This record gives sequence, structure tokens and C-alpha cells, in this order.
Amino acid sequence: MKFEQWNGFKEGEYQEKIDVRGFINLNYTPYEGDKSFLTGPTERTKKVMEKVNKLLKKEMDKGGVLDVDTERVSGLLAYEPGYIDKKLDIIVGFQTDEPLKRGVNPFGGIRMARNACEAYGYKLSDKIEENFKYATTHNDGVFHVYTDEMRAARKVGIITGLPDAYGRGRIIGDYRRVALYGVDYLIEQKTKDKAEYGKNVMTEDNIRTLEELYQQIQALNDLKGMAQKYGYDISKPASNAKEAIQWLYFGYLAAIKEQNGAAMSLGRTSTFLDIYIQRDIDNGVLTEEEAQELMDDFVIKLRLSRQLRTPEYNDLFGGDPTWTTESVGGMSLDGRTLVTKNSFRVLNTLYTLGSAPEPNLTILWSDKLPENFKKFCAQVSIDTDSIQYENDDIMRPMYGDDYAIACCVSAMQVGKQMQFFGARCNLAKLLLLTLNGGKDENMGIQVAPEGKKFSGKLDYNEVMKAFDKYCAWMSRLYINTLNVIHRMHDKYAYEKIQMALHDTEVKRFMACGVAGLSVIADSLSAIKYAEVTPIYGENDLIVDFEIKGDFPKYGNDDDRVDSIAVEVLTKFSNELKKNETYRGSEHTLSALTITSNVVYGKKTGSTPDGRKKGEPFAPGANPMHNREVCGALASLNSVSKLPYNCCQDGISNTFSILPNALGDNMEKRVDNLSDMLNGYFENGGHHLNVNVLDREKLITAMENPDMYPNITIRVSGYAVNFHKLSKPQQLEVLKRTYHGEM
Amino acid sequence: MEKCKARIDSIYNGSAVDGKGLRCVVFFTGCNMRCGFCHNPETWTEKGREVTLEEVVAKIKRYKSYIKNGGVTLSGGEPFLQAEFCIELIKALRGENISVIIETNGLIANRELIEICDGVRLDIKNQDREVDGRVYKFLDICETLDKAVTMTNVLVPTLNDTVDRLDTLKKIKNTYSCIKELKFLAFRKLCESKYERLNMPFPYQKYEEGSKADLDKAYAYMNA
Repeated sequence: MKFEQWNGFKEGEYQEKIDVRGFINLNYTPYEGDKSFLTGPTERTKKVMEKVNKLLKKEMDKGGVLDVDTERVSGLLAYEPGYIDKKLDIIVGFQTDEPLKRGVNPFGGIRMARNACEAYGYKLSDKIEENFKYATTHNDGVFHVYTDEMRAARKVGIITGLPDAYGRGRIIGDYRRVALYGVDYLIEQKTKDKAEYGKNVMTEDNIRTLEELYQQIQALNDLKGMAQKYGYDISKPASNAKEAIQWLYFGYLAAIKEQNGAAMSLGRTSTFLDIYIQRDIDNGVLTEEEAQELMDDFVIKLRLSRQLRTPEYNDLFGGDPTWTTESVGGMSLDGRTLVTKNSFRVLNTLYTLGSAPEPNLTILWSDKLPENFKKFCAQVSIDTDSIQYENDDIMRPMYGDDYAIACCVSAMQVGKQMQFFGARCNLAKLLLLTLNGGKDENMGIQVAPEGKKFSGKLDYNEVMKAFDKYCAWMSRLYINTLNVIHRMHDKYAYEKIQMALHDTEVKRFMACGVAGLSVIADSLSAIKYAEVTPIYGENDLIVDFEIKGDFPKYGNDDDRVDSIAVEVLTKFSNELKKNETYRGSEHTLSALTITSNVVYGKKTGSTPDGRKKGEPFAPGANPMHNREVCGALASLNSVSKLPYNCCQDGISNTFSILPNALGDNMEKRVDNLSDMLNGYFENGGHHLNVNVLDREKLITAMENPDMYPNITIRVSGYAVNFHKLSKPQQLEVLKRTYHGEM
Repeated sequence: MEKCKARIDSIYNGSAVDGKGLRCVVFFTGCNMRCGFCHNPETWTEKGREVTLEEVVAKIKRYKSYIKNGGVTLSGGEPFLQAEFCIELIKALRGENISVIIETNGLIANRELIEICDGVRLDIKNQDREVDGRVYKFLDICETLDKAVTMTNVLVPTLNDTVDRLDTLKKIKNTYSCIKELKFLAFRKLCESKYERLNMPFPYQKYEEGSKADLDKAYAYMNA
């Protein structure tokens, strides 16, 4: 096939079948130069940003939600077009008919939708309430099947954050396909697939796939309809840069209208778009200033994406994040860099539009990245605290060179792999449950089978033996619970448009997670190297521990304890793999907490490492706050020992350093940060959030929000506007280690 | 081998303010001075822990990927008090392609150590005294060996930001071509808690911290 919209592109296999990677590989222009070509915002962009900032201020003043459309159920065709300013908008489209107005999505669960409305002073319309009386939601489905044991585990919080009442997210549609092929071709391909599957034996699996294909084709038709409302015909491929961005954005917009998944990530789009931009520039129909303006307007739209959440949800995932993660950079399999001028442009939006947490710009770092790009990234980190880094050199061998990050740290091949988001298991609590013979330390509920009671000084080997048993119990229950959730999600809240932008044969991951890794590592270290004796309270439950002597602490590059962290992760990963998963998905594991480390801590009793009941955990794979005393690099070395091959869904590390500790002038800071990233990733580290900031500035911001209205910080795999965090979350951020205070 | 052991307080991994690039800093215990602004008073009296050469080298090697453009800084305390160990350590690290500089007060002019290191950060102590004569001897050796010296000086407002103190520094800088750079460090009181913990009076408690403006003023005077 040959579309006239492809004129000027090199010919290749992508013209015979869907192959975006192949298209990129043939047609992109690597860029090794520096940032000097970049331009600032145009007058138009400045005008639009003025309006945007006013809207954002209004949203903040209204308590975080500007408006809710309670009359309609969110969907691709549910709303009339919305604009910031119809005359000024270049890239168009909002989730509802007005920017920042949130839609209602009850497919995950009607109660969640109702509560979310009420939390912000709205009432879900009678019409929706009435309609959903007769519908089964994902949440209904899950609770129809949940066992008593699953409910108990959920109640005590040993597994928490499960996507059983809202969209699971973490699925990246290949939105680039819309631009490259146009929707008609995509429908044609899916129709062919449906005919092929129709020839198979009608097993339950095959019937499900056929029904899903039907839904996908419907969704693609709706996508065309949605674009039509904005005056665009996207049945054919995009013919220039503006259309490519618009087509791609329509694909993404459809996804966030249809789904309210926690993380609705964008993928890896900037280098793809560079091909269209470069073609237009070469043809003399686009200037650099206009190219930046296009990217600016695209990013403005991404920044205004919103979902309606309950306050409880915000406790887990603070700051109203959407994880519109865009993966930038990396290397191609043939050794060329995938950095293009547009990689610079998308980062430049943090200057042209000011710093902001979304889109969640994620640098795929390789030792081989062009030096100029590395320096630019380091500069952006120092100036904006808005970007994160992940190790392309360890992911590329596993995922190839066209993967992207969903959410914070979850890699997957775009359009070819997806994951079942599994939230996380609280390992610190699992240890306490072990020591309490299967009882929850706070509620006293016998959650797990009754086991040995511990008294007197704890013996490391005995504790580990018992822990192994509970690890096996937990893994089975955890996977079973996830199987229920994802079966029901597929059944009642299937991601129609996102899966339409995947290959029909897709590889699935079962993405499990752990929280409290540093707490359990230090706790086991204390048991091994110091003397730890449980103190029992009234109900025969351990209320605290007496700790005599010192012990090695994770975060100091001390193998004695770091090896414990590795052992625990490996053990848990191996146990999980013993359990059968829904749809044959491959077990993966992450050490990532989002901001839920605060809530997890709140729900967990005192631990043998000296952490008191209710105190926050460290986020992700971070060492516990202020226990790192051997310097920033020692802390990084500890984390980089965690093996990515058993923690393939990501190992999140959030790192804060004072500007002065990074060097006494900007040039040195840039060089040193770049060296730090190189070293960390060379040592096998997976992810790094970088904050270069003074704690004092945050304290000032906390006391005088108006002084720094846009202060952005990295928390755990994403960035937030500091003011959107709850007070406990803000305080936890302040408690963290800021390297440099010696 | 007795000489291949040393007493150190700690190794700090990831300093960006103790020389070029990212550095590992080895803090030796023991000092032949008692400066009132000292940030590491624990190195005066505490014995620290005994380490072997192999141990220190192995520890530092773990950071090779980070310190390619930086290196190791020997600090303290006063590293020249354990010169033999320092010499062996530098030889071993050189074998690993790691560059090493030394921070010193310049009272012990050990020629061999000066010669073998990759650079010297000489902190001039002139806050409550004249510059010690031994420092000039130290600098003479650096000059002969053409060893790059970064001269540092902790600026304590009212104490040594005076014209006569600055003039002396200026004179030193102009006398020795081996001094490539002069850096003023603002007096800070971050170490206060350390003194409390050690149950020692903080001698410079009464002085104000140095500000950026103080530093700028001093630089302006030096460059005038």
C-alpha cells in the first residue's frame, strides 16, 4: 500500500504491515548537537499560557477540582468539543467540553464515582445512578468473587492500592499508529484479525478475543467520530507535522476519555514526531519556532489531562498525577542514538511553558547518549526538578528499542506488550505478620494460617524460616487476587481504544510490587547483627521491639545488609512465579510506592529496625530517611545492587541533593550530575528521580504557597506540584535525606 | 605490614566540593592543629578505626564508575600525619587510574607525598594567627615540583576578612606560581551539633557565618 501522505519517507516494510518501529528506524534523523537551536515561546503560546495559568489557579483555589460533568458518562462521543481559546488553539481536544472539567467514569465502580463527586461538592446525576443500577461494574465483579481471605488481606492493608475500584491503567496504546496509518487502515487490519480468529475453535479464550476485537473496531470508529467533532477526518494518515501531532493526540485523548486508569502513559512519541517535523522543515513549510510552538501546544493539552478521584485515592497517589509518561532518548539497536531535535524540544517545554509535573518526562539514559544531550538533561533537572531517568542499557536488551515507560518505571514494547497493574504488597507488614504468627499486628485479625509465635531475642535463621512460609502464602494469595481483578477488568472495563492500538497478539505482564523494602532489609539486618526482642502488648501482639546494639543499614553500600534486600526481593519474585497467572501473563515485580509509602507506614506497626508505628516508609527502593551516612554515591550503590532481572517492572529511587553539594557553579553541577547518572546506570541502577533543591525552599513554599506556585518536585516515579501534596506527604518529603548536609 | 594501616574516621562517597568532579573523600583521624572553625573535630580526639590499604582501595574501587572525571581526596584530620599510608594508597589508586589530591594545612612538608599526589588543596589558617612559617616551606616544595595547588581559606567575618589578612594571602598567591586558584570558603556553623555530641565547646560559636556577599567582597579585593 502507498499513501500520498508518506511522500518523502523512505520506503520499507512498515508500508506492508503495522510497524511503527520500522518506520522510525528508517526515517529518523539522530541529533548529536547541542541545545543552541532551540527557540522560546511564541506570543501566541504566551497568551495561551496566561489563560492556562489562570485556569490552574482557579482549580487550586477551588480545592483541586475546577468542575465536574455529572450528567454524562465519559466516553469518546459524550461531549461537544472543548477549547482553551478556539482561535488560539493549534492542537485541539479536551476530555470534556471545557478544559479541566472532569468527566465521570463509573465502569470501574459506581461507588468510587459517586464518592468522588461528593468529595468535591457535586452529586452524580440520577440518570447515571439509574443506568448503573442495571450494570455490573469492574468493582462489582471483583467483589462478587473475592474470598474472605482476599478481603481480610485487603482490609489490613498487606496488599494495598489494588486496582479493584478504578481503571488499572499502565497500558500504553500505540498512539503513533493513528498518525502513521490513519484509522481506516487500523480498522481494516483488526477486521482481518477478527476473520482469522473466527476460524479457530471457539474456546473461551477465543470467544473473549473475538468479543474484544469487536469492541476495538467499535472504538476505532468512535475515534473517527470524536475527531470529526473537532472538524478533522483522521481516517487517512497524517500529512504533516501538525496533523501527526493532532492525530496522535486524538488517539491519546480517546484513551483518557474512555479510561480513568491510574497511569495513562503516552509512550515514546517525540522522535516519531520529529520525522514529520523534519520533513516539514526540509520542505520549507515549517520553521523551528513553529515546530516548538506545535510541541508546546501539544504539551499544554497533555498538562491539562484530569481524572476524577476520591480523597482516599489521593492519599495513595498524591498530587493528582496522570502519569502521562513520555519516554525520551535512548539508543537504537543498530547503535545510533534515538535522540532527535524533538527530544530537545519536548524537554524545552519546561522552559517555554514553565516547569510542571506532567507529562512525566522520562529520559532513557545510555552511556552512549550524545554528551550534549546528557548535559542538557542534567541542566533541565537542576533547573526544573521535573524529569526522571531510566537505564536504557539494561532495558534495551530485554525490550528492544521501541519500548516506553508506563507510569513510573514499567517498561513495555509499545503496541506489543501490556501489563496487568498489580499495585503492591507491604513487605514490612509481612515480616510483622510472620513474627505475630499470621496475625495482623494492628487489628489482631488472623489473616494468614497460624504459625510459630516468637518470644525473647529473635533468631535470624528462625525468623527467615518462618518468613519463607508466609512469603509463599502471600504470593499465592496476591497472584490469585490479581487474577480476579484482571479477569473482571477485562470483562467489565476493557480498554477498547488502547487495545485497538496494540497488536492483536499481545504479550502480557502480571506486574506485582513491593513496598517497605528498606524497612524489611534494615529490620532483618537488626535481627541478624544486633539484639532484637519483641515487646508484647495486650492482645498478645507485638507492639514494639527492644533493639540493643548497632546494625548495618541499607543505603551505605554495606553488603551485609544490601544482600538482605537482594535476597528478600529474589525470594519474593521466585515465590510469585510459582503461581499461575490470568491469561498466561509473565510475573514481574517492582519496588515502587508512588506516594503510598506514607499510607503504608501509617498502617504498619513498629518494626525491628527502630521505625515506630505509623511512621512513613521510604519511597520505592530508597533507603530509609537519613540512615544513609556514607554519601550520595554509597546510597546509589546500595540501590543499584537490586537485580533488575528479578525486579523487571522497575526499581524506583528518588534522590535529592542540595545544589551546593553538586558543585559551586552551574557548569560543575551539570557535569557532576551527568557523571552521577553515568556511574549509577553503569553500575546497573534502573531508575533515578533527581531533585536538586534546598529543603529551605520547600519549607518556604509550604508556608507561602504563593511565593512558588509552580514548584515541582520528583517524588516516586513521577513529579508533582508540591502544593498538591497532602500535609503528611509534604512533611515526608521534607524528612527525606538531602545529600550534601554534612 | 604495619605501615599499610591507617586510622580513619570515615570515607564519604560523593563530594562535589572537595576538588574537581565527583570524589570519594577519606577522612583521616588525628590533627596537628585545633582550628576554631573545624568541621571535623571528631578527628582531633577520636581514634577512628584502623583500616588496611587493601580495604580502602577496595572501598574506593566500588565508585570507579562515578569518579572518572573526579577522583579521591585525602582529608581529615591531617593526612600528612599518616604520610606513609597516603603514599601507598596513592600508588595503589594510580594503578586503578584514579586521581588523588590531598587537603592539608601545610605544616608537614613531606616531599615524597607532595610529589606523588595529583594536586594539593592547601587550607591557609590565618583566622586567629599569622600564617605558620612551615607553610612557606611546604609551598617551596610544591613550587619546585610544579605541583598544582588550590589555596583555600575559611573566611570568618571580622576575623580574617581584614585588609592585612587578605594582603598576606595576596602576597602568597603572587609569590608562588604553583598556586593555580584561591578559593574562599564561607565559615559555617553546620558542625555545631558535632561539638555538642562530643561534649566540646565550639570555639567559634560567637562568630557570624560567612555570607556570599562576604566571599564576593574578599574576591573583589583579591582581584583588585
